[in-house]
Amino acid sequence: MAEKETKELAPREEQAPALRRERPMIPPVDIYETEEALILVADMPGVTKESVEVKIDENVLHMRGEITDLPGEDVEPIYVELRGNEYYRAFTIGPEFDLDKIEASMEAGVLRIYLPKVEAEKPRKIEIKVA
Amino acid sequence: MPINWGLEFFDPFREFERLQEEVDRLLQLTSPFIPIRAAVARGTFPVINIGETSDSVLVYLFAPGIELDKIDLSIEGNILSISGERDATKALKVENVDPARYYRQERFSGRFTRAVTLPDSIDPSQVEATYQNGIIKVKIGKKEEKKARRIEVKASC
Repeated sequence: MAEKETKELAPREEQAPALRRERPMIPPVDIYETEEALILVADMPGVTKESVEVKIDENVLHMRGEITDLPGEDVEPIYVELRGNEYYRAFTIGPEFDLDKIEASMEAGVLRIYLPKVEAEKPRKIEIKVA
Repeated sequence: MPINWGLEFFDPFREFERLQEEVDRLLQLTSPFIPIRAAVARGTFPVINIGETSDSVLVYLFAPGIELDKIDLSIEGNILSISGERDATKALKVENVDPARYYRQERFSGRFTRAVTLPDSIDPSQVEATYQNGIIKVKIGKKEEKKARRIEVKASC
């Protein structure tokens, strides 16, 4: 009976490390707010303008980038701190952004996403009148 | 769980590991915000990979968004060192950055210095470095006598 139990567990144990290796890297992100927009900056060294994908699916902003220029087969790793060739991160966003005007740019491995706010959501100064 | 599990089947430490794996798997299914599992502490800048071919050693310094005139890369003997400064606020492209307006600030900002020891086979006089897509790639040639050579096996009859 005990033996049967171990047999059932075994395949799951084999799957776990395989999944872990394929997991994309998590890029560090800065998020900054101005009166007009929210600016998101992510470090994705090795990713180019062509290999980055920024997508909005309902209320989730997805960013994915792939390192395209990988060392050739003839390069043997001797010391490795960064493992993987893909970055992925996602954030939920509210309805206050003008989705048609989102801009994204990639420069020296840094992704910048500019999310402008819709006109009505911009801060307005409230004047306090003395009665 | 069967109560007749012998010692050979029940390893409590293995069970902790299994629990950790299951939790990791669950987190992966429900959210992309999973802890990073890396040998390097988060915040290390730049992250370094080293590789070698038969005639050279390649060092990859993952340094996105740096200004090259603020970087000092040098080689002394077989020690390669990099130091410099990165201003993470530059990438925002905003005038007068107000620190109070950050919701999240994970990217490295400030001065840094790192050094790595390279294999003894390198020839410090043959160095070239390029910066592309946020990666500084340093190629250092190997000393002539340390290069890998193919040995032909001759058949003797």
